[in-house]
Amino acid sequence: MLTLISTIIIMKKIKYSLLKAIDITGLTFLAPVVRLCYGEEPQVQFKKIGQWIIVPLIAVFIALFVIYDGFIVDTFKTKSGKLPTSSKIYSSYKSIDQLHDDEIAKEKAYNLSGEERVEELKVVEEKITSAEKSLEEASKAVEDQTLVSKAETAKDVAPIQAEYDELKESVKAASAARDVEMKLLAESITPGDEAAAQKLLGLVRADDAQDTLDKEKRNLTKEKINLILTKKSPALQKRKAEETYFSERLAFLKTYKTLLSTQNKSLIIDEKKEKIATYEKELASLSGADALKKAKSIVNQESVISKKEESEYAGSKTIWYQVKRSVLCVFTGFFLGSFLAIPIGIFCGLNKTFMAMMTPFIAIFKPVSPIVWLPIILILVMGAFPNPDKHPFMEFLGELPLLGVYKINPAFIASAITVALCSLWATMANTALGVASIDKDHMNVARVLKLGFFARLTKIIIPSSLPLIFAGLRISLGVGWMVLIAAELLSSSEGIGKFVFDEFNNGSSDSLAKMVVVVFIVGIIGLILDRIMVIFQRLVSFEGAPATI
Amino acid sequence: MLKKENSQFVEISNLVKEYPNPYGDDFRVVEDFNLKIKAGEFISLIGHSGCGKSTVLTMLAGLNEISGGGIIVGNKEIDGPAPDRAVVFQAPCLMPWMSAFDNVMLGVKNVYPHVSKQERIQIVEYALSVVGLGDEMKKYPREMSGGMQQRVGIARAIALQPRVLLLDEPFGRLDSLTRMELQDVIIEILAKEKLTAMIVTHDVDEAVFMADRCVMMSNGPKAGVGEILEIDFPRPRNRKEVFDDPNFFACREHLLAFLEQRSHIKGDPRVFANGKTLGFMDKEVVEELRQKHEIV
Repeated sequence: MLTLISTIIIMKKIKYSLLKAIDITGLTFLAPVVRLCYGEEPQVQFKKIGQWIIVPLIAVFIALFVIYDGFIVDTFKTKSGKLPTSSKIYSSYKSIDQLHDDEIAKEKAYNLSGEERVEELKVVEEKITSAEKSLEEASKAVEDQTLVSKAETAKDVAPIQAEYDELKESVKAASAARDVEMKLLAESITPGDEAAAQKLLGLVRADDAQDTLDKEKRNLTKEKINLILTKKSPALQKRKAEETYFSERLAFLKTYKTLLSTQNKSLIIDEKKEKIATYEKELASLSGADALKKAKSIVNQESVISKKEESEYAGSKTIWYQVKRSVLCVFTGFFLGSFLAIPIGIFCGLNKTFMAMMTPFIAIFKPVSPIVWLPIILILVMGAFPNPDKHPFMEFLGELPLLGVYKINPAFIASAITVALCSLWATMANTALGVASIDKDHMNVARVLKLGFFARLTKIIIPSSLPLIFAGLRISLGVGWMVLIAAELLSSSEGIGKFVFDEFNNGSSDSLAKMVVVVFIVGIIGLILDRIMVIFQRLVSFEGAPATI
Repeated sequence: MLKKENSQFVEISNLVKEYPNPYGDDFRVVEDFNLKIKAGEFISLIGHSGCGKSTVLTMLAGLNEISGGGIIVGNKEIDGPAPDRAVVFQAPCLMPWMSAFDNVMLGVKNVYPHVSKQERIQIVEYALSVVGLGDEMKKYPREMSGGMQQRVGIARAIALQPRVLLLDEPFGRLDSLTRMELQDVIIEILAKEKLTAMIVTHDVDEAVFMADRCVMMSNGPKAGVGEILEIDFPRPRNRKEVFDDPNFFACREHLLAFLEQRSHIKGDPRVFANGKTLGFMDKEVVEELRQKHEIV
């Protein structure tokens, strides 16, 4: 009995803390689900779920599968074919994601050594045999399907072809008959017979017109045939896609194998070490110029080993790595911008003269596009780090525990500064507004209590303007995220923007689908960033706080 | 009882408040306001809305600039706000991001810079327990009712251990029950701390029940002291006793009569006490009053 009661109490506590978390994060559409789970007014909750979950889902469904797949995809054509359908976009997402997993596996394989490597190699070889089998089967299936499809096509084409042939024959015959008629008339004409000449002219004209007409008719039928021939059979396409998938998997497994065997780091190093050992033996029995040569090659091999030991697997950058780097970059820029904007905003709000001083700068620099800032900043940053690989600051950043992986370079710094320059205005304006619009009564209290400047700042001014500051920070982060993608695209800083640009330049058949995937990734990350800021904003706001958006 | 130099603790002389008027002479809200307050005395300031009661109080607090005349508090002319004149505002004006304790501590830290942390905490705890919030120190303003918030406002004022307590319509936004409770709290505090105090109010009962002297202000613009009523019910005052006293009604009637009929008259203050006229200017008015209050 007692445990039952305590369980009920705990369940209730969980419910309330869940509801509170939902309220703070602003994900209010989840509240009716929680309430429904606790059996609270089911009818009301169902109605709310219908309104805030089912209806939006239906809207997305209609937009994606009915309007987009049904109409838009068929209407617009690009150079590389039709627009990608939603299923194509999804499979592109899968392949991007797969690429990421593959790269991680490859890196692991490259660094694997000893017993583990040998075992992994065995596993891979088994996998390769099975993959080869699958590929063979798939190729076979494609061949079969090709035959079937061809037969189907031939069957479809046959009656039209017959019709076409017939038409061709009849037209040919009619044309020959007309030719004979014209020839006869022409021969019967005597010079000076105006009427006969006119008749001949009429005949020739009629013949020409008939020829054009026949040609059009023939072309029309031909087009019908071509249409059937070019139509790809969906079954065949499916088989072909399967074949491509298996061949890609096989290609990956083969690379994986080489990374475990011939290109494996530890293996290469071992090889070199063996070489050195044999060289050393040989050196003992040599003298003169030969000995010097041998010694030199030993040292040479040694330096190769030390380089190899430091080396990392150089694979291609995958989408999630780029996403992480972009998020890191946007936060770097965001913090940089806020670090400038908040103090300046506070002084602007406190002092009208300072505000007047800052106004021209704000007014002129605020509307400047990131596209203008970036090249300028890129040049400045490049100037500051003429030899970035050797620069102590860059080396320091490269050795940082968590950030080192992201290889911060001048392009990254320039992108971050561009983000800062474009995003700081919202925070600055909101901070100034927040500070300037402090409740007069609160300031009167500060005057009566004779608080000093610092106490006023920390105890009254900053806390009371925090909600507005955070509203500004939220806008800034949103702007920064938008600016960053453009900045990365221009500066070729490894990130989502660069991913899009690479795909744009790549121009393969699924590039467009991949770019659409990026649209969703960027959108979802932007949403998450916004939610994070909303949570902060709610946490710092107090009752009666001004303008919590 | 009181030392002689302290007998006129607050002196307000020829006080003027004017606001600039772009289309004519400056707009004078208050003109020639004269008042002397004895140490430990409780003054209530009553008058019609907009007559400048709060203006006078905020000038005394130092929050409002003085356009002319002067205010002396304890032999020193005031210049801006200072913790020796604590103010309780109409709205509690608590910092919503601080607990009740921190709100009171805010001023204490500044007024007693050389006092140890432990002593400061004691001061704050004492002030909060005086207003009856000893158990609710950790609460935030949003968790408190309006009355409790105003109690914190009062605690914040008395924690500064001021010499003058200025109350600017402190109960204006409270319901009548809470208002009565807080009136008693203030009366208790004043009895304990022997503070000089001034309350601005619209409430006639409050003005009579709480104060030693009620200053009636004439209508603005150019408002000044209209009449002054001495109220000498014995202290400590008990609500029931005071309200049952026939003189209470006489005082009340007097204030109402002033507000209804004579508030436009400004002149030398005529002083009345317990319904009896001590000195007067206008014969007719006084005659009328006498008949009304059956003063022989």
